[in-house]
Amino acid sequence: MSTLKVDAIRHNSATSDAITTAADGTCTANITSNYSNRSVVYNGAMKIAQRGTNFTGVTATGTFPVDRFKFHVGSLGTWTLSQSTDVPTGQGLSHSIKCDVTTANASPSGTAYARIDQRFEGQDLQRFCKGTANAKNFAVSFWVKSPKTGTHIVQLQDQDNSRNVSKAYTVSSANTWEKKELILPADTTGAFGNDNGGSLFLCFYLAVGTGYQGGTLQTTWGTPVNNTRATGQVNVADSTSNDFYLTGVQMEASSYCSEFEHRSYGDELQRCRRYYQVLVDQAGGTSQKSFAIACAYSSSSMHSTHLLSPMMRTVPTLDYTTGTDYYRAFSNNAQDSFNDFTLVGNSHAHAVDLAVFSNLSVTSGSAVLIRTYNAASKIAFTAEL
Amino acid sequence: MAIYKLVKNDMSGEVESVTLTIDSGHKQSIPFVADNTEYQKYLAWVDAGNTPDPAD
Repeated sequence: MSTLKVDAIRHNSATSDAITTAADGTCTANITSNYSNRSVVYNGAMKIAQRGTNFTGVTATGTFPVDRFKFHVGSLGTWTLSQSTDVPTGQGLSHSIKCDVTTANASPSGTAYARIDQRFEGQDLQRFCKGTANAKNFAVSFWVKSPKTGTHIVQLQDQDNSRNVSKAYTVSSANTWEKKELILPADTTGAFGNDNGGSLFLCFYLAVGTGYQGGTLQTTWGTPVNNTRATGQVNVADSTSNDFYLTGVQMEASSYCSEFEHRSYGDELQRCRRYYQVLVDQAGGTSQKSFAIACAYSSSSMHSTHLLSPMMRTVPTLDYTTGTDYYRAFSNNAQDSFNDFTLVGNSHAHAVDLAVFSNLSVTSGSAVLIRTYNAASKIAFTAEL
Repeated sequence: MAIYKLVKNDMSGEVESVTLTIDSGHKQSIPFVADNTEYQKYLAWVDAGNTPDPAD
Protein backbone atom coordinates (compact mmCIF):
# COMPACT_ATOMS: atom_id res chain seq x y z
CA MET A 1 0.00 0.00 0.00
CA SER A 2 1.41 3.37 -0.96
CA THR A 3 0.10 6.92 -1.05
CA LEU A 4 0.56 9.43 -3.84
CA LYS A 5 1.20 12.78 -2.20
CA VAL A 6 0.71 15.71 -4.56
CA ASP A 7 -0.89 19.12 -4.35
CA ALA A 8 -2.43 18.99 -7.81
CA ILE A 9 -2.88 17.02 -11.04
CA ARG A 10 -2.65 18.88 -14.34
CA HIS A 11 -2.52 17.87 -18.00
CA ASN A 12 0.84 18.54 -19.70
CA SER A 13 -0.63 21.24 -21.92
CA ALA A 14 -3.16 22.67 -19.51
CA THR A 15 -2.82 26.00 -17.78
CA SER A 16 -4.83 25.03 -14.74
CA ASP A 17 -5.14 22.03 -12.45
CA ALA A 18 -7.73 19.34 -13.07
CA ILE A 19 -7.59 18.28 -9.41
CA THR A 20 -6.25 20.21 -6.46
CA THR A 21 -5.79 18.63 -3.08
CA ALA A 22 -6.14 20.33 0.27
CA ALA A 23 -4.41 19.87 3.63
CA ASP A 24 -7.66 18.82 5.25
CA GLY A 25 -7.86 15.71 3.07
CA THR A 26 -10.40 17.05 0.59
CA CYS A 27 -9.94 17.94 -3.05
CA THR A 28 -11.51 20.09 -5.73
CA ALA A 29 -11.93 18.55 -9.17
CA ASN A 30 -12.69 20.35 -12.40
CA ILE A 31 -15.09 17.74 -13.84
CA THR A 32 -16.73 19.10 -16.93
CA SER A 33 -19.46 16.73 -17.96
CA ASN A 34 -20.92 14.52 -15.29
CA TYR A 35 -23.32 17.01 -13.77
CA SER A 36 -26.96 16.02 -13.48
CA ASN A 37 -29.51 16.91 -16.12
CA ARG A 38 -26.73 17.02 -18.71
CA SER A 39 -28.87 15.36 -21.37
CA VAL A 40 -31.57 17.40 -23.06
CA VAL A 41 -33.34 14.27 -24.30
CA TYR A 42 -36.69 13.37 -22.76
CA ASN A 43 -37.46 9.73 -21.96
CA GLY A 44 -34.17 8.53 -23.43
CA ALA A 45 -34.61 5.20 -21.62
CA MET A 46 -38.02 4.77 -23.31
CA LYS A 47 -39.69 4.13 -19.92
CA ILE A 48 -42.75 6.28 -20.38
CA ALA A 49 -45.50 5.28 -22.82
CA GLN A 50 -48.68 7.14 -21.87
CA ARG A 51 -50.39 6.73 -25.24
CA GLY A 52 -50.11 2.94 -25.31
CA THR A 53 -47.44 0.35 -25.90
CA ASN A 54 -48.38 -1.22 -29.24
CA PHE A 55 -49.51 0.41 -32.49
CA THR A 56 -50.24 -1.71 -35.54
CA GLY A 57 -50.71 -0.85 -39.21
CA VAL A 58 -48.72 2.39 -39.07
CA THR A 59 -48.30 3.90 -42.54
CA ALA A 60 -48.31 7.61 -41.75
CA THR A 61 -46.54 10.07 -39.48
CA GLY A 62 -47.78 10.73 -35.98
CA THR A 63 -47.38 7.69 -33.77
CA PHE A 64 -45.51 7.95 -30.47
CA PRO A 65 -44.40 4.41 -29.53
CA VAL A 66 -43.13 5.96 -26.30
CA ASP A 67 -43.46 9.50 -25.00
CA ARG A 68 -41.61 12.26 -26.89
CA PHE A 69 -40.31 9.94 -29.63
CA LYS A 70 -42.39 10.33 -32.77
CA PHE A 71 -42.32 7.98 -35.72
CA HIS A 72 -42.43 9.61 -39.13
CA VAL A 73 -43.13 7.60 -42.25
CA GLY A 74 -44.23 8.41 -45.73
CA SER A 75 -44.66 5.90 -48.55
CA LEU A 76 -42.31 3.46 -46.89
CA GLY A 77 -43.97 0.29 -45.74
CA THR A 78 -46.28 -0.61 -42.90
CA TRP A 79 -45.04 -0.85 -39.32
CA THR A 80 -45.95 -2.12 -35.90
CA LEU A 81 -44.45 0.20 -33.31
CA SER A 82 -44.14 -0.78 -29.68
CA GLN A 83 -42.45 -0.23 -26.36
CA SER A 84 -40.23 -3.29 -26.07
CA THR A 85 -38.36 -4.92 -23.22
CA ASP A 86 -35.58 -6.02 -25.59
CA VAL A 87 -32.63 -4.03 -24.25
CA PRO A 88 -28.84 -4.17 -24.15
CA THR A 89 -27.66 -6.23 -21.20
CA GLY A 90 -25.92 -4.73 -18.21
CA GLN A 91 -26.87 -1.12 -18.88
CA GLY A 92 -29.74 -0.72 -16.45
CA LEU A 93 -32.10 0.00 -19.32
CA SER A 94 -35.52 -1.66 -19.22
CA HIS A 95 -37.27 -0.54 -22.40
CA SER A 96 -36.65 0.29 -26.03
CA ILE A 97 -38.61 1.39 -29.08
CA LYS A 98 -39.28 -1.47 -31.48
CA CYS A 99 -40.10 -0.75 -35.13
CA ASP A 100 -41.34 -3.94 -36.79
CA VAL A 101 -41.75 -3.95 -40.58
CA THR A 102 -45.05 -5.66 -41.49
CA THR A 103 -45.22 -4.59 -45.14
CA ALA A 104 -41.82 -4.17 -46.75
CA ASN A 105 -40.64 -1.71 -49.37
CA ALA A 106 -37.39 -2.88 -50.91
CA SER A 107 -37.07 0.04 -53.33
CA PRO A 108 -38.17 3.29 -51.69
CA SER A 109 -38.37 6.11 -54.17
CA GLY A 110 -38.62 9.88 -54.15
CA THR A 111 -39.21 11.43 -50.76
CA ALA A 112 -40.24 8.20 -49.05
CA TYR A 113 -38.75 8.02 -45.59
CA ALA A 114 -39.01 6.45 -42.16
CA ARG A 115 -37.44 7.96 -39.09
CA ILE A 116 -37.81 8.45 -35.34
CA ASP A 117 -37.33 11.92 -33.97
CA GLN A 118 -37.53 13.99 -30.82
CA ARG A 119 -38.28 17.70 -30.92
CA PHE A 120 -36.90 20.24 -28.47
CA GLU A 121 -38.01 23.65 -27.27
CA GLY A 122 -35.48 26.40 -27.94
CA GLN A 123 -35.45 27.43 -24.29
CA ASP A 124 -34.11 23.97 -23.39
CA LEU A 125 -31.23 24.25 -25.88
CA GLN A 126 -29.57 27.50 -24.80
CA ARG A 127 -26.69 25.50 -23.27
CA PHE A 128 -25.49 24.73 -26.83
CA CYS A 129 -24.82 28.47 -27.36
CA LYS A 130 -25.74 27.95 -31.00
CA GLY A 131 -25.26 30.99 -33.16
CA THR A 132 -22.47 32.36 -30.97
CA ALA A 133 -18.68 32.18 -30.90
CA ASN A 134 -19.00 29.87 -27.89
CA ALA A 135 -21.16 27.29 -29.66
CA LYS A 136 -20.89 23.76 -28.26
CA ASN A 137 -20.80 20.40 -29.99
CA PHE A 138 -23.81 18.09 -29.89
CA ALA A 139 -22.72 14.82 -28.28
CA VAL A 140 -25.31 12.19 -29.18
CA SER A 141 -25.15 8.68 -27.75
CA PHE A 142 -27.59 5.77 -27.98
CA TRP A 143 -28.00 2.01 -28.20
CA VAL A 144 -29.26 0.59 -31.48
CA LYS A 145 -30.16 -2.89 -32.68
CA SER A 146 -30.70 -2.88 -36.42
CA PRO A 147 -31.50 -5.72 -38.80
CA LYS A 148 -29.08 -4.18 -41.30
CA THR A 149 -25.34 -3.76 -41.10
CA GLY A 150 -23.75 -0.70 -42.64
CA THR A 151 -24.42 3.02 -42.68
CA HIS A 152 -27.22 4.62 -40.68
CA ILE A 153 -27.82 8.37 -40.36
CA VAL A 154 -28.54 10.71 -37.46
CA GLN A 155 -29.57 14.24 -38.36
CA LEU A 156 -30.05 17.50 -36.44
CA GLN A 157 -32.60 19.82 -37.97
CA ASP A 158 -32.61 23.45 -36.80
CA GLN A 159 -36.16 24.67 -37.38
CA ASP A 160 -35.49 28.24 -36.27
CA ASN A 161 -32.81 28.96 -38.83
CA SER A 162 -33.45 26.33 -41.49
CA ARG A 163 -30.11 24.61 -41.06
CA ASN A 164 -29.19 20.99 -40.61
CA VAL A 165 -26.31 18.60 -40.20
CA SER A 166 -26.04 14.83 -40.48
CA LYS A 167 -23.69 12.19 -39.13
CA ALA A 168 -23.27 8.60 -40.29
CA TYR A 169 -22.69 5.68 -37.99
CA THR A 170 -22.02 2.06 -38.83
CA VAL A 171 -23.88 -0.96 -37.51
CA SER A 172 -21.35 -3.77 -37.46
CA SER A 173 -23.52 -6.76 -36.55
CA ALA A 174 -27.13 -7.26 -37.54
CA ASN A 175 -29.71 -7.77 -34.80
CA THR A 176 -27.16 -7.05 -32.09
CA TRP A 177 -27.22 -4.22 -29.57
CA GLU A 178 -24.42 -1.72 -30.23
CA LYS A 179 -23.66 1.57 -28.49
CA LYS A 180 -22.99 4.55 -30.73
CA GLU A 181 -21.36 7.83 -29.75
CA LEU A 182 -21.49 10.66 -32.26
CA ILE A 183 -20.14 14.19 -32.02
CA LEU A 184 -22.04 16.55 -34.30
CA PRO A 185 -20.38 19.93 -34.78
CA ALA A 186 -21.13 23.18 -33.03
CA ASP A 187 -22.78 25.86 -35.13
CA THR A 188 -21.78 29.50 -34.74
CA THR A 189 -24.60 30.56 -37.05
CA GLY A 190 -28.27 30.79 -36.12
CA ALA A 191 -29.27 30.98 -32.47
CA PHE A 192 -32.16 28.91 -31.12
CA GLY A 193 -35.15 30.98 -30.03
CA ASN A 194 -35.31 31.18 -26.24
CA ASP A 195 -38.96 30.17 -26.14
CA ASN A 196 -41.37 27.24 -26.18
CA GLY A 197 -41.28 26.76 -29.94
CA GLY A 198 -39.84 23.69 -31.64
CA SER A 199 -36.26 24.66 -32.42
CA LEU A 200 -34.44 21.39 -33.06
CA PHE A 201 -35.27 17.88 -34.26
CA LEU A 202 -32.98 14.96 -33.40
CA CYS A 203 -33.67 12.39 -36.13
CA PHE A 204 -32.79 8.71 -36.43
CA TYR A 205 -33.33 7.45 -39.97
CA LEU A 206 -34.47 3.90 -40.73
CA ALA A 207 -34.84 4.20 -44.48
CA VAL A 208 -35.11 6.87 -47.16
CA GLY A 209 -36.09 7.12 -50.80
CA THR A 210 -33.84 8.29 -53.58
CA GLY A 211 -34.79 11.89 -52.92
CA TYR A 212 -33.03 11.94 -49.55
CA GLN A 213 -29.71 10.60 -50.70
CA GLY A 214 -27.38 10.78 -53.67
CA GLY A 215 -25.54 13.95 -52.78
CA THR A 216 -22.61 14.14 -50.38
CA LEU A 217 -23.86 13.72 -46.81
CA GLN A 218 -24.11 17.15 -45.17
CA THR A 219 -21.71 16.78 -42.25
CA THR A 220 -21.35 20.51 -41.55
CA TRP A 221 -24.18 22.84 -40.69
CA GLY A 222 -25.85 24.41 -43.68
CA THR A 223 -29.07 25.04 -45.52
CA PRO A 224 -31.01 21.79 -45.89
CA VAL A 225 -30.66 20.05 -49.23
CA ASN A 226 -32.88 17.00 -49.46
CA ASN A 227 -30.50 14.66 -51.26
CA THR A 228 -27.73 15.26 -48.71
CA ARG A 229 -29.78 14.52 -45.59
CA ALA A 230 -29.35 10.76 -45.37
CA THR A 231 -26.92 9.64 -48.06
CA GLY A 232 -25.84 6.07 -47.47
CA GLN A 233 -28.71 5.13 -45.16
CA VAL A 234 -29.43 1.40 -45.42
CA ASN A 235 -33.02 0.29 -45.95
CA VAL A 236 -34.35 -1.13 -42.69
CA ALA A 237 -37.75 -1.58 -44.35
CA ASP A 238 -36.74 -4.05 -47.05
CA SER A 239 -38.11 -7.18 -45.35
CA THR A 240 -40.95 -8.13 -43.03
CA SER A 241 -38.37 -10.00 -40.98
CA ASN A 242 -36.83 -6.70 -39.92
CA ASP A 243 -37.08 -5.21 -36.43
CA PHE A 244 -35.25 -1.99 -35.50
CA TYR A 245 -34.68 -1.06 -31.84
CA LEU A 246 -33.48 2.14 -30.16
CA THR A 247 -32.86 3.10 -26.51
CA GLY A 248 -30.50 4.93 -24.18
CA VAL A 249 -30.67 8.15 -26.20
CA GLN A 250 -28.76 11.08 -24.80
CA MET A 251 -27.67 14.47 -26.21
CA GLU A 252 -25.26 16.76 -24.40
CA ALA A 253 -23.55 20.07 -25.02
CA SER A 254 -20.10 18.54 -25.02
CA SER A 255 -17.24 17.25 -27.11
CA TYR A 256 -17.60 13.76 -25.75
CA CYS A 257 -20.40 11.46 -24.71
CA SER A 258 -20.76 10.64 -21.04
CA GLU A 259 -22.43 7.60 -19.55
CA PHE A 260 -26.19 7.40 -19.85
CA GLU A 261 -27.89 9.44 -17.15
CA HIS A 262 -30.68 7.35 -15.63
CA ARG A 263 -33.73 9.09 -14.23
CA SER A 264 -36.45 7.73 -11.95
CA TYR A 265 -39.78 6.73 -13.46
CA GLY A 266 -41.50 9.53 -11.55
CA ASP A 267 -39.07 12.21 -12.68
CA GLU A 268 -39.26 11.14 -16.31
CA LEU A 269 -43.05 10.89 -16.24
CA GLN A 270 -43.34 14.39 -14.86
CA ARG A 271 -41.03 15.72 -17.56
CA CYS A 272 -43.04 14.01 -20.30
CA ARG A 273 -46.30 15.40 -18.94
CA ARG A 274 -45.30 18.86 -20.13
CA TYR A 275 -46.18 17.50 -23.59
CA TYR A 276 -48.82 14.85 -22.93
CA GLN A 277 -50.80 13.96 -19.84
CA VAL A 278 -53.62 11.53 -19.20
CA LEU A 279 -56.66 12.70 -17.27
CA VAL A 280 -58.35 9.31 -17.13
CA ASP A 281 -58.03 5.94 -18.85
CA GLN A 282 -60.32 3.01 -18.21
CA ALA A 283 -57.61 0.99 -19.94
CA GLY A 284 -59.77 -1.91 -21.01
CA GLY A 285 -61.04 -2.55 -17.51
CA THR A 286 -64.60 -2.98 -16.33
CA SER A 287 -64.47 -0.48 -13.48
CA GLN A 288 -65.79 2.98 -14.21
CA LYS A 289 -63.33 5.70 -13.20
CA SER A 290 -64.39 9.00 -11.68
CA PHE A 291 -62.38 11.97 -12.89
CA ALA A 292 -64.29 15.23 -12.57
CA ILE A 293 -66.83 17.30 -10.70
CA ALA A 294 -68.60 19.59 -13.11
CA CYS A 295 -71.12 22.39 -12.80
CA ALA A 296 -74.23 22.15 -14.97
CA TYR A 297 -74.35 25.55 -16.69
CA SER A 298 -77.67 24.66 -18.29
CA SER A 299 -79.86 21.58 -18.59
CA SER A 300 -77.79 20.44 -21.59
CA SER A 301 -74.26 21.57 -20.80
CA MET A 302 -71.68 21.39 -18.05
CA HIS A 303 -68.14 22.58 -17.39
CA SER A 304 -65.32 21.17 -15.26
CA THR A 305 -61.85 22.56 -14.67
CA HIS A 306 -58.70 20.48 -14.42
CA LEU A 307 -55.32 21.62 -13.19
CA LEU A 308 -52.50 20.55 -15.47
CA SER A 309 -49.48 19.22 -13.64
CA PRO A 310 -46.97 20.32 -14.62
CA MET A 311 -47.90 23.37 -16.67
CA MET A 312 -47.94 22.21 -20.28
CA ARG A 313 -45.86 23.65 -23.11
CA THR A 314 -48.85 25.56 -24.44
CA VAL A 315 -52.63 25.42 -24.21
CA PRO A 316 -53.15 21.74 -24.93
CA THR A 317 -55.37 19.92 -27.35
CA LEU A 318 -57.96 17.65 -25.77
CA ASP A 319 -57.44 14.12 -27.11
CA TYR A 320 -60.19 11.61 -26.29
CA THR A 321 -61.87 8.40 -27.32
CA THR A 322 -65.54 8.55 -28.13
CA GLY A 323 -68.51 6.35 -28.85
CA THR A 324 -72.06 5.83 -27.67
CA ASP A 325 -72.26 6.30 -23.88
CA TYR A 326 -68.49 6.43 -23.37
CA TYR A 327 -68.91 8.80 -20.40
CA ARG A 328 -71.55 9.15 -17.67
CA ALA A 329 -72.82 12.04 -15.55
CA PHE A 330 -74.25 11.52 -12.06
CA SER A 331 -76.33 14.28 -10.48
CA ASN A 332 -79.47 14.77 -8.34
CA ASN A 333 -79.88 11.04 -7.84
CA ALA A 334 -79.99 10.52 -11.62
CA GLN A 335 -77.54 9.68 -14.35
CA ASP A 336 -77.11 10.27 -18.06
CA SER A 337 -74.57 9.11 -20.61
CA PHE A 338 -72.85 11.22 -23.22
CA ASN A 339 -70.13 10.90 -25.83
CA ASP A 340 -68.15 14.09 -26.45
CA PHE A 341 -66.17 16.86 -24.81
CA THR A 342 -65.00 20.30 -25.89
CA LEU A 343 -61.98 22.23 -24.69
CA VAL A 344 -63.31 25.70 -23.99
CA GLY A 345 -61.37 28.80 -25.01
CA ASN A 346 -60.77 29.93 -21.44
CA SER A 347 -58.36 27.04 -21.03
CA HIS A 348 -54.67 27.83 -20.57
CA ALA A 349 -51.38 26.03 -20.05
CA HIS A 350 -51.98 25.68 -16.28
CA ALA A 351 -55.60 24.49 -16.34
CA VAL A 352 -58.33 23.59 -18.79
CA ASP A 353 -62.07 24.10 -18.98
CA LEU A 354 -63.61 20.84 -20.18
CA ALA A 355 -67.20 21.18 -21.35
CA VAL A 356 -69.98 18.90 -22.56
CA PHE A 357 -72.38 20.46 -25.05
CA SER A 358 -74.22 17.54 -26.61
CA ASN A 359 -76.24 14.43 -25.71
CA LEU A 360 -76.55 15.60 -22.11
CA SER A 361 -79.53 16.07 -19.79
CA VAL A 362 -78.79 17.42 -16.30
CA THR A 363 -80.35 19.82 -13.82
CA SER A 364 -79.08 23.33 -14.40
CA GLY A 365 -76.99 24.58 -11.51
CA SER A 366 -76.29 21.19 -9.99
CA ALA A 367 -72.94 19.57 -9.35
CA VAL A 368 -72.22 16.60 -11.59
CA LEU A 369 -69.86 13.68 -11.01
CA ILE A 370 -68.33 12.41 -14.26
CA ARG A 371 -67.04 8.88 -14.83
CA THR A 372 -65.80 6.80 -17.69
CA TYR A 373 -68.43 4.34 -18.92
CA ASN A 374 -66.66 2.19 -21.50
CA ALA A 375 -63.55 0.02 -21.38
CA ALA A 376 -62.03 2.19 -24.13
CA SER A 377 -62.80 5.56 -22.49
CA LYS A 378 -59.69 7.73 -22.34
CA ILE A 379 -59.08 11.47 -22.03
CA ALA A 380 -55.69 13.11 -22.40
CA PHE A 381 -54.14 16.47 -23.19
CA THR A 382 -51.38 16.99 -25.72
CA ALA A 383 -49.06 19.95 -26.28
CA GLU A 384 -46.41 18.23 -28.38
CA LEU A 385 -44.06 20.03 -30.72
CA MET B 1 -68.90 16.35 -43.76
CA ALA B 2 -65.47 17.83 -43.08
CA ILE B 3 -63.00 16.31 -40.64
CA TYR B 4 -63.04 19.60 -38.67
CA LYS B 5 -66.11 21.14 -37.04
CA LEU B 6 -66.20 24.51 -35.31
CA VAL B 7 -67.59 24.55 -31.75
CA LYS B 8 -69.15 27.44 -29.80
CA ASN B 9 -68.68 28.01 -26.10
CA ASP B 10 -72.17 28.04 -24.58
CA MET B 11 -71.12 30.73 -22.11
CA SER B 12 -69.65 33.22 -24.56
CA GLY B 13 -71.56 32.18 -27.66
CA GLU B 14 -68.26 32.48 -29.53
CA VAL B 15 -66.49 29.87 -31.63
CA GLU B 16 -63.41 29.11 -29.51
CA SER B 17 -62.28 25.68 -30.65
CA VAL B 18 -62.51 23.17 -33.44
CA THR B 19 -63.13 19.44 -33.17
CA LEU B 20 -61.13 17.05 -35.33
CA THR B 21 -62.61 13.62 -36.00
CA ILE B 22 -59.61 11.32 -36.40
CA ASP B 23 -61.78 8.23 -36.72
CA SER B 24 -65.14 7.01 -35.41
CA GLY B 25 -63.71 6.41 -31.96
CA HIS B 26 -61.14 9.16 -31.60
CA LYS B 27 -61.51 12.96 -31.57
CA GLN B 28 -59.53 16.03 -30.62
CA SER B 29 -60.80 19.39 -29.39
CA ILE B 30 -58.30 22.00 -30.53
CA PRO B 31 -57.98 25.48 -29.00
CA PHE B 32 -57.34 28.51 -31.19
CA VAL B 33 -53.81 29.07 -29.90
CA ALA B 34 -50.95 29.97 -32.24
CA ASP B 35 -48.29 27.66 -30.80
CA ASN B 36 -50.60 24.64 -30.50
CA THR B 37 -49.35 22.11 -33.07
CA GLU B 38 -52.81 20.76 -33.90
CA TYR B 39 -54.09 24.31 -34.46
CA GLN B 40 -51.19 24.93 -36.84
CA LYS B 41 -52.22 21.81 -38.78
CA TYR B 42 -55.82 23.04 -38.84
CA LEU B 43 -54.72 26.40 -40.26
CA ALA B 44 -52.67 24.61 -42.92
CA TRP B 45 -55.76 22.55 -43.79
CA VAL B 46 -57.83 25.72 -44.17
CA ASP B 47 -55.06 27.39 -46.18
CA ALA B 48 -55.18 24.42 -48.53
CA GLY B 49 -58.70 25.47 -49.46
CA ASN B 50 -60.75 23.38 -47.06
CA THR B 51 -63.68 24.58 -44.98
CA PRO B 52 -64.69 23.26 -41.54
CA ASP B 53 -68.27 22.36 -40.73
CA PRO B 54 -70.02 25.28 -39.02
CA ALA B 55 -70.80 25.33 -35.33
CA ASP B 56 -74.22 24.18 -34.18
